[in-house]
Amino acid sequence: MDNHLIKLENESIYIFRQSYRSIKNIAMLWSLGKDSNVMMWLAFKAFFGKLPFPVVHVDTKKKFKEMYEFRNIYEKKWNLNLIKGNCPDIKEIDPSLPPAARSAARKTAGLKKILDKYKFKGVIAGIRRDEQGTRAKERIFSPRDESGKWDIKNQPPEFWDQSNFNYPDSVHIRIHPLLGWTEIDIWRYIKAQKIPIVDLYFSKNGKRYRSLGDKDITFPVKSNASNIDEIIEELKITKVSERSGRAMDHEREDIFENLRTKGYM
Amino acid sequence: MDESQTPRVVTVGHVDHGKSSFIGRLMYELGQVTEEKFQELKNISTKRGMEFEFAFLLDALQDERNQGITIDTTQIFFKTEKRNYIFIDAPGHKEFIKNMITGASSADIAFLIVDVEEGVKEQTKKHAYLLKILGFERVIVLYNKVDKIKYSQEKFDRVNKELESYLSKLEIKVHSSIPISAKNGDNISKKSQKTDWYLGGSVIDILDGFSIDKKDYKDELRFPVQDIYKVGDKRVIVGRVESGKITNDDTLLFLPTNQIVKIKTLESWPSSKTEYNQGECLGITLDEQIFVDVGNVASRPEKPPKLMNRFEANIFWLSQKKVKLNKKYDMKINTGQYQVSINEIKKVIDTNDLQSKKNYDVTKNDICELVFHSSQLIPMDNYSDIKSTGRFCLLDENEIVAGGILNLKNFPDQKEVLSKSKKNIIPEEFYVSEIDRSVMLKHRPGIIWLTGLSGSGKSTIAKGVEKKLFSDNCNVFSLDGDNLRLGLNKDLSFSPEDRTENIRRTAEVAKLFSQAGFLVIVSLISPYRSERRKARDIRPEIFRLIYTKASVDICSKRDVKGLYAKAKSGEIKSFTGISSPYEEPQKPDLVINTAKEQVHESIERLYNFIKKEFSFS
Repeated sequence: MDNHLIKLENESIYIFRQSYRSIKNIAMLWSLGKDSNVMMWLAFKAFFGKLPFPVVHVDTKKKFKEMYEFRNIYEKKWNLNLIKGNCPDIKEIDPSLPPAARSAARKTAGLKKILDKYKFKGVIAGIRRDEQGTRAKERIFSPRDESGKWDIKNQPPEFWDQSNFNYPDSVHIRIHPLLGWTEIDIWRYIKAQKIPIVDLYFSKNGKRYRSLGDKDITFPVKSNASNIDEIIEELKITKVSERSGRAMDHEREDIFENLRTKGYM
Repeated sequence: MDESQTPRVVTVGHVDHGKSSFIGRLMYELGQVTEEKFQELKNISTKRGMEFEFAFLLDALQDERNQGITIDTTQIFFKTEKRNYIFIDAPGHKEFIKNMITGASSADIAFLIVDVEEGVKEQTKKHAYLLKILGFERVIVLYNKVDKIKYSQEKFDRVNKELESYLSKLEIKVHSSIPISAKNGDNISKKSQKTDWYLGGSVIDILDGFSIDKKDYKDELRFPVQDIYKVGDKRVIVGRVESGKITNDDTLLFLPTNQIVKIKTLESWPSSKTEYNQGECLGITLDEQIFVDVGNVASRPEKPPKLMNRFEANIFWLSQKKVKLNKKYDMKINTGQYQVSINEIKKVIDTNDLQSKKNYDVTKNDICELVFHSSQLIPMDNYSDIKSTGRFCLLDENEIVAGGILNLKNFPDQKEVLSKSKKNIIPEEFYVSEIDRSVMLKHRPGIIWLTGLSGSGKSTIAKGVEKKLFSDNCNVFSLDGDNLRLGLNKDLSFSPEDRTENIRRTAEVAKLFSQAGFLVIVSLISPYRSERRKARDIRPEIFRLIYTKASVDICSKRDVKGLYAKAKSGEIKSFTGISSPYEEPQKPDLVINTAKEQVHESIERLYNFIKKEFSFS
């Protein structure tokens, strides 16, 4: 593994250990996607093969069947303490949102239910800065108020690996150990460490998924990349953005910020 | 293409001098703005009645786009033919200095941008000074908007001279000075015809040629303890090598405990190595059992960090709240956290002329030199010797109020002081050590100090927790204020002096019990902050302050012992909460709100807290 990946890996391990030490009652989100599995692998590295906290799958019940099969296999294989959380019906979600965004907002509501039930003070999520402009503005440790809101205009300072963990009891912290990774780093790491992933990422009939979400609002992109090496080569030259297959991103300029300030990952 | 290096590059400078536009332009010229993104930005610009605006690539927030300024730092990834980069955009507005620091603190290379038409401004200088504190020894200066001065060399030279003279006073070297236009693309990816008087390279050429090799600290190992895990039957100390390297046959010195011990194994998952370098995380098991706490620093015995309780630091102050002398702050340095106070403001620096300000009030965004004091010994390094163990941040309650770099030249290293003063005292070596007791008991000793008003529930909770711990085979004992006053403290009244003595004696008894390996639960009103602090200082590493919180109203309604009634009628004098003050703890380790929770909930919470803090792994 080259120095860049070694550096990223160690930064993430440090964040995991800092979270576990400094925040009471944490959990890790597992969306079953490529980033999520890299995150799982890094957590195994941080805790010597056994996770000391539960893993949460916020299930919209609209994932691809390949994803559910993957979940069932690796829940056992990795010996996970898995919490499966449900999402409310679409009817209960803000009708003023555009359709795909409204559908995605179910996940925020589902996450909030789990936070309320288990009183988690820290939630580890696998977002990356290179995915989207508002994610690029994130902190590694990002405080959210009781309704899950992100105060985007007043984020705490974070420097020299020091962060604040002293918040009122109503606040939970979103923890982002993959913030500094790029899509291509993720694939190079999956290759180097032989991390298992859902095979929807590989091209079939000239198309593949670059990003996995709910099946009704996620679409495959044109691609002939049918293995990891080909994906890495494709990413070096592509001009298509990673989330281009995510319908919600294209509905309105401010939609992602709107969802995220309300608690979306 | 070199994939082993991804330098992080930050752009700083005064507001509106073109930081975001420059990065946007750079990305565009390198062909790394996707078609999709380009169209999106075009629409966004048109919607706001603007020409195409490169800054929108980074200014993703609605408020940033509408106000045309950068509010928070952002990071964007791109590549040249030579290597990958992470570009960090930092806001220039003085309101957002904390965001600028958040962005710049992780960078390897810094661009300082100046609007060459407007010249050097207040934030240009402040940012330059902050770069110095953040450890930058060299910068690349970009003179933007060169189109606006009609590509005039004369005007460029004038601004360039002023800025170079300022930077040289800060001892920052100018690596290159480049005239650019982010708007028109001059000298960004290729040399511009319009600045033929400029002899240097384009931004890309200069960036690709900038070496980021770091200082090699060789044998100056620093390994701050991040946590201690139980892995199978092994006790694994985890942490990250902050400088130097660690190998499996090393012998380590742990500070501040001053213990020397051989490494048994080095651990990582799924496989381990025999050597770990700077930046790598690992676990260590030791040849013999010693007490190791989070925040301790391991080094080679012959090259240890300094051990300080008084020191100076160069600080950037971020909080609205002013610096308060002799108030307690929390200092976070590496993985450790310590209570410190500021004893003296030596200098407040005006970054405009680098003179000391007359007014010694330190307020938001000030840069100053302070003298600190701590009642604990803290392992640390001079910032000029080792950067990562020579800097810290300061917390006040739930806010990061400052960051600073250490200057340890003017106060003595306590390691040496300690070893000198110990020469005349020959300690008695007992056969049973504290660690032996802990190993046998499977828990560490601890002093769990419950403070709160009479009737707030201290004794009730203490009794419940003691019972639960005892049935777990813990060595546990309760010291109760009322009970002690029947014996050891029966000569003491309730005057402030006697209350102080009451606490001192109780704390000393608690210390003896802790040395015998006990978990001691102390229930004592202990109304004064200063006295509780003295109690903590007796054994700070195992002292935990628990605040049983309930208002005077609630306690006097409960009035289990009928004391409040007597106090109100004047029969009892100096009764805490009625006729004598109670100072609420500012930073207890745990708050138990007995007005809100049931007794069994409170007991459970304190029990879990003790288990977590003192179980021996």
